[in-house]
Amino acid sequence: MSLLKLSGVTKVFGGLTAVNRLDMEISEGQIFGVIGPNGAGKTTVFNCITGIYTPEGGKISWEGEDITGLQPHQIATRGVVRTFQTIRLFSKMSVAENVMSGRHFRSKQKWWNTIFHTPKSYKDEIANWQHVKENLKYFDLIDYASHPTNSLPYGIQRKVEIARAMATEPRLLILDEPAAGLNDSETLALVELIYGIRKQGVTVLLIEHDMDLVMELTDYITVINFGEKIAEGTPSEIQKNPQVIEAYLGSEEDDD
Amino acid sequence: MKNTKNLLFILFFACLIIYPFVTEGRWLAVGITFLIFSIVALSEDIVLGRAGMFDMGHAIYFGMGAYICGILNYHYGLPIFATIPFAIIIPALIGICLAAPIVHLRGDYLLVTTLGLNMVFLQVLENDAFGLTGGPNGIFGIDSPSIFGFQLMSQTSIYYMAFIFFIITLLIIKNLEHGKAGRAFHYLSQDPIASQSIGINVRFYRILAFALGAGIAGAAGVLFAIQYGAISPEAFTFKESVLFFAIVLVGGPSSIPGILIGTFVMFVLPEVFRQFDTARYLVFGLAMIFAMVLRPNGILPFKFGKFPKFVREK
Amino acid sequence: MDIFFQQIINGLTIGSLYALIALGYTMVYGILKLINFAHGDLVALSAFIGMTVFAKILGGDASLFAVIALFLITMAVIAMAGVALDKAAYKPLRNAPRLSAVVSALGAGLVIQNGIMLTWGPNVNFFPGDLVPNIVWNIGGTVVTFIQMLILVLSLILMIALYLFINKTKMGTAIRASAIDKDASRLMGINVDRVISLVFIIGSALGAVGGIFIGMHYRGITFEMGWQYGLYAFVAAIMGGIGNIPGAMLGGILLGLFNALIAGYVSSTWTDAFTFLLLILIIIFRPTGILGERVAEKV
Repeated sequence: MSLLKLSGVTKVFGGLTAVNRLDMEISEGQIFGVIGPNGAGKTTVFNCITGIYTPEGGKISWEGEDITGLQPHQIATRGVVRTFQTIRLFSKMSVAENVMSGRHFRSKQKWWNTIFHTPKSYKDEIANWQHVKENLKYFDLIDYASHPTNSLPYGIQRKVEIARAMATEPRLLILDEPAAGLNDSETLALVELIYGIRKQGVTVLLIEHDMDLVMELTDYITVINFGEKIAEGTPSEIQKNPQVIEAYLGSEEDDD
Repeated sequence: MKNTKNLLFILFFACLIIYPFVTEGRWLAVGITFLIFSIVALSEDIVLGRAGMFDMGHAIYFGMGAYICGILNYHYGLPIFATIPFAIIIPALIGICLAAPIVHLRGDYLLVTTLGLNMVFLQVLENDAFGLTGGPNGIFGIDSPSIFGFQLMSQTSIYYMAFIFFIITLLIIKNLEHGKAGRAFHYLSQDPIASQSIGINVRFYRILAFALGAGIAGAAGVLFAIQYGAISPEAFTFKESVLFFAIVLVGGPSSIPGILIGTFVMFVLPEVFRQFDTARYLVFGLAMIFAMVLRPNGILPFKFGKFPKFVREK
Repeated sequence: MDIFFQQIINGLTIGSLYALIALGYTMVYGILKLINFAHGDLVALSAFIGMTVFAKILGGDASLFAVIALFLITMAVIAMAGVALDKAAYKPLRNAPRLSAVVSALGAGLVIQNGIMLTWGPNVNFFPGDLVPNIVWNIGGTVVTFIQMLILVLSLILMIALYLFINKTKMGTAIRASAIDKDASRLMGINVDRVISLVFIIGSALGAVGGIFIGMHYRGITFEMGWQYGLYAFVAAIMGGIGNIPGAMLGGILLGLFNALIAGYVSSTWTDAFTFLLLILIIIFRPTGILGERVAEKV
């Protein structure tokens, strides 16, 4: 079943066309990869999907609804949540508080609960902290619960960011270079983590540069260069695609 | 550690409760004003300390509350207690209207805009708008509050009225801290983009912060009007906004004990040194510089990491 | 109709003063991202220092040489005061949260303001009035004084000089570079601390010129006048685009003109309100000021 569909999406910055008439379709249950050389426009595509940018052209639909140009929080509440290339955690806050931020829109408290709590809102608080606890247990982060995130090793911070996103109970999880800065064993752990996320019924869309990880993990790949799709297919198809090879390594003629 | 903290709090409240019995005259008045200013500072903290918006015009809402109370009482004969809901709701609504077009502004621009709004407000008051605000002299002859026919005229009774407002404010802020809105303020002040991306409607919560801050400051305004029986524009100028702004930062943004200490340092201490009249503000200015250089995060900074214990347990 | 030209002259005059003072705000903000709330009080201080220099050092002598010496001595004193201000109240907070430096600036302003009060008293002091010839021109109903002409001409010269300095000299480039990225500038061999001191020197010296002009033009000076001029000049800097030097000049002139025209045509008791409403509208519709740069955040 088609979950997220991009049709002809175009994003322009001043004189630069960062994304040019991109088509992409992600189906439920997939682990979908987006790859391409640096500066190809991959993060820009993600920013368009998540509402940080509004595309100049084209349409983005989610579960059949047109979400082009919606505000980021509106897209998140529809079940599309992302992590960032540079890790954007609330660095002075503890791991538990960070994960709790993921429970924000799932909480049923109303604005007047700022002034006084009712038994219902109190129960809601406890229920959400309970969720946070389950989340921390699943991601094996209980030991770090009260640590401020800026004191944690990079690999753990990445995990916390994913844990926070998962706390929102998303349908589609968008990961922007989740393996960046991780060593081999951390990368292996990440692969297992993502498989586990898929098992929970969450569809995954990711940008990655680590080719081993991409080929191992993904079901389907779109390759972008200079803002345009140059190829799409299964990992084995992509590996053999001459345009892809050229984009990454340069063509035979360049070696003269 | 936690027990020392609780003990200190209990001691503090005990002192506040017996205060009118051990003081009188000028010092009782200082105590009342301490409570009033603490309330305003706590309300400024919601906007500046928690939601991270550079609000340097908070005296507007304080002044609005005072003037609404004064106008309704003096011009329309409304008893004081009846003016209280208006003095809370109207500033809150105006806070929403003023905030809506400006909450997205980058820090320093927001600062200047709130400052500008304060100046506009001041001229509205000084120009005797609609013949209601009384011009530069303001309004005097405001009644004392009365319950069931009893007039609360004495400083002691006003003190306890202020104390009740103070306690209610503390309860509201504590409540805020343990709810999704209070946390949302922290999240959006640290990283609005990350907050948006996990589903927090940053714009809504920013406006909510202003509304809450305005409503609470408005309530404090009523107390001010009662305390002095008179109100004039010079109590709600840019200088007062700067005072509340500085209290939050000197005390410690988001920190309740910090804000109370900040109010004490920035308001009560200068009163203590009133006898050194002329050099008072000079020392005050030096104190501000020292406080920031020595404690850039505030005298009693807020610490994150508070959440129910069961979350940590295996 | 003749009050129009009168108000234009008045507006340009006060606008030039705002522009000179605004430059101090905008240069410091450009390089430190700090609103130097104490700047207005330094301007006030310069008027008082100028007054005292004239009386005590120059002995009341009003020759051209003496007037030039008055400017130079006062500018030098205030420039040093500006550098001292930075070293005492701002430098220790370079790595602290931004707002902490703002509070420190507010405190420093209070110190300077009350220092003035303790030294020269709380009452109005009078700046010497015979420093320049008291010539008055009357052009078809519009009155222009020598002082106003002097202010307009000298301010223009100073602003052009500053613009050339910032854009055509190596030091000026160092200032611009440091304003964009301090770390990168350091890596390129620029002594950023020296640059910061230079910015305070220039900004304060220009403010001092403004202060002396205020004294010459309005004669009565008080210890509190720093906040009043400072606030307007700061607004001018924001309107033009904070951090943007031509913007501060433009903002100052425009603000002065707007002020004068409102006072002349609408009402003098609502001038502040109109001015700040204008500011608010400009910020809402052009958030980075009239000439300001749009800065996008990379996500």
